[in-house]
Amino acid sequence: MHKITQLLHVLLFSFLLFTSQSAAAAEQEYALKAGFLYNFARYGEWHDSALSPDKFVICSPDASFTETAKSVLNQRSVDKRPITIRHIQFELEQVNQCQLLFISSASLSDWLSWQKQQDYIAENTMVVGESKGLIEAGGHIRFFIASGKVRFEVSPQQLQQSGITMSSKVLRLGRVLER
Amino acid sequence: MPLVILSPMTYAAGSLDDLDLESLMAMDIQVTSAMKRSQSAFDTATSIYVLSKERITHSGATSIPEALKMVPGLVVRQLDNNQWAISARGVASRFSSKMLVMIDGQSLYTPQFSAVYWETLNVPLYDIERIEVIRGQGGQLWSSNANNGVINIITKNSLDTRGLYADAASGSQVNIDANIRYGNDISDIGSYRVYGHVKDGDASEKGLVLEPNDVTQQYSFGGRMDFSTSDHWSGFVQGDITESKLGQNYRGVIDDTNRNITFTDKLERTDSRVMARLENRMSDSANQMLQVSWLNQSGSQTYLQEEFESFDVDYQMNFIYQALQLDWGLNYRYSTISFEDSLFLHSDKEFDNLQQYGGFIQAQFALIPEELDLVLGTRAEHNDLTDWEYQPLARLLWKPQDNQVLWSAVSQSVRIPSLIEFNDNYAINGQKVSEVLPFSTGIEAIDEYHIKTYLNGNDDVEAETSLSYELGYRLSQQSWNLDVSLYHTETEDVAVIDINPNVEQFYPALALFQSGQLQQALQALTQTTIQFDIVSTADLTTQGGDIVLSWVPADMFNAELGYSYNTFEYDLPENTFPAIGRDSTTRQIFAKADVHLFDSHNIFATVRVENSDAYLTENYTLLDLTWNWAVSQHWGVSVTGKNLFAGSHLEYANRQETYTIPNYIDESVLFKVTANF
Repeated sequence: MHKITQLLHVLLFSFLLFTSQSAAAAEQEYALKAGFLYNFARYGEWHDSALSPDKFVICSPDASFTETAKSVLNQRSVDKRPITIRHIQFELEQVNQCQLLFISSASLSDWLSWQKQQDYIAENTMVVGESKGLIEAGGHIRFFIASGKVRFEVSPQQLQQSGITMSSKVLRLGRVLER
Repeated sequence: MPLVILSPMTYAAGSLDDLDLESLMAMDIQVTSAMKRSQSAFDTATSIYVLSKERITHSGATSIPEALKMVPGLVVRQLDNNQWAISARGVASRFSSKMLVMIDGQSLYTPQFSAVYWETLNVPLYDIERIEVIRGQGGQLWSSNANNGVINIITKNSLDTRGLYADAASGSQVNIDANIRYGNDISDIGSYRVYGHVKDGDASEKGLVLEPNDVTQQYSFGGRMDFSTSDHWSGFVQGDITESKLGQNYRGVIDDTNRNITFTDKLERTDSRVMARLENRMSDSANQMLQVSWLNQSGSQTYLQEEFESFDVDYQMNFIYQALQLDWGLNYRYSTISFEDSLFLHSDKEFDNLQQYGGFIQAQFALIPEELDLVLGTRAEHNDLTDWEYQPLARLLWKPQDNQVLWSAVSQSVRIPSLIEFNDNYAINGQKVSEVLPFSTGIEAIDEYHIKTYLNGNDDVEAETSLSYELGYRLSQQSWNLDVSLYHTETEDVAVIDINPNVEQFYPALALFQSGQLQQALQALTQTTIQFDIVSTADLTTQGGDIVLSWVPADMFNAELGYSYNTFEYDLPENTFPAIGRDSTTRQIFAKADVHLFDSHNIFATVRVENSDAYLTENYTLLDLTWNWAVSQHWGVSVTGKNLFAGSHLEYANRQETYTIPNYIDESVLFKVTANF
């Protein structure tokens, strides 16, 4: 029995050493999340559509996400507007160009401090993230993982305040928050 | 879109062709997922068929066996209005199938019979995510006794079943079949659902031997709670209980005539199960899972009382390191079986509990990245009847192009003897003296006398070992897909029945007969018995293949054509005869069409042609046709015609089974109303 336990520990330990090296799995998660963003774009209604009438801009300060999103959403369009993926810095001018902004968990703290400094309140930009506390910090939709699958929670009220309405087709699939 | 039809399981990275919201929600974030590895069915080096939830709902099926009728390569024979025989790559029998059936990874295998009580397996169809059917060896990954296949019923996360759902159906053979389910969030950490089901079904119209009595009264209640405290930890607990009262006709030896007597009875069963699973995503490329489950099945009828309980623990881990994917797991099962001795059954080894434990390991190496994969694995499992058993396998998967896969596999699987074969003694239909002795006495009372006959389990019976060779090919085109698989399986140590009439024991009776003492001769005959012993001395060859062609010319139309061919051939030692099935050939043709009309209308049709000499029935062709109408966002109605054009037909007439008496299966109509809020 002792030998078996020892063997298990060796196995456990050896794989913990090298788990960070696999990029393929992380890519799959971002590929799926990019697919969800595409659907949020399709089923969302931006009240002020004056912003970028000829393209739909999805932004993120996270390069690993934008790389994946580019390959997944290549050639896709929203209401005949081709999707453009932008890797941005947190600057007011750049953020204001985005109809949809994805805050990865790696960029959350930068986002929170920038938002505070700027006293930024999203208008005509749908803010989607993946970390706890995002909705409380004014975000609109947050991804979470349940049993290995991507699910999301959404605050229709905060979306409304930012000038965006989400179709019931999306709302019924997510966990709707009251705030 | 075409990939969705062929591989609705999960997509490997890079094959996200369809960005439909519902399909995204069905995909796993990792190439590895909890219960074994989840991957695209297209890239699986095994003969797999996935029944999607859309197909199940569109088909108008009201039970799992009915839904399984849609799976090419699966033999689904209905014995009467509540009993079924289901298998793949072999002959289906009510009490033996060498097929492993699981709900969310919880095994329903009963060691007493090596089969599943399909009639009391109650999973609400609207809560099923998908049903995965593996044809052929699945033992290395899943467990022993999966020689012919694995059926894994996967239910939905309760996060996806929030709201109120209700349906009620009634028709020519069903008085009422009604369901209700309610689900909601549990703050922001989880969700739950509870459901209830009631069914009251009529008997068939025509019996084979007796007036049909196959009525059904069934009540189920159950629920599930899912939680995910963070992106790294999630889990669920689910449980349900089903009370069934099933009318059945059967036969047994219950008096001094020593002959099978047919009788009509009601079987009462209570089936309950509870399971809990904890999943941990350890990193982007590794996860682990612990599952604990409990199952209790108790059945009661006039001549038979049985109770089976099992407790299972499974642990599993999957990870990826560069070109290596590794899965390993450990499992433990403790079962208690109480089978009260009855007039026609008694146990001599008194097994009242069984333990089974072991583990598996499987490694997948990319020999040429994205092109050639080698899978090696084995399972080692200990059981109380035959000790350690090993189930190794090797698979090779070659992907010359993105849309083509060629795979092959060599594997060994094991079936542990059931307690019937190992432990129990049955009184079976007595043997006529004239059939046993080489001559006739000319006196009816003696020639026609039935000598008491027992079928004896034998603790020398060994595990059946099958060596399978498989070959498969898949092609995915813009609007159509092809999936072909071929197999050849050689099985050793197959359980068969050894006949030894032991003629010497009749000498005293014969001496009395010859000296003219007829009464005494008859009296002496009542002291004789014939013993049939189960021995594992035969070989069996099964071979054949399946071909499935699916066609999706447009979003509103998809169709599927399947052909399946299986032969089953015993190599029997002298004085033995088959215990399960007989030398036979089974051919099946499947055609399915799923048509959407004007958004709110859907027509689903399945045609099956069953051609087999394994069940002593005529060949038959039948059509199941369903029209679904989504009247509004919340309300739907449907009409289903089942077994159309087949008239009243027999699907199973194997009389050698001691117990079973089938009925004719009728055409039927079912109306259903569905509400969804």
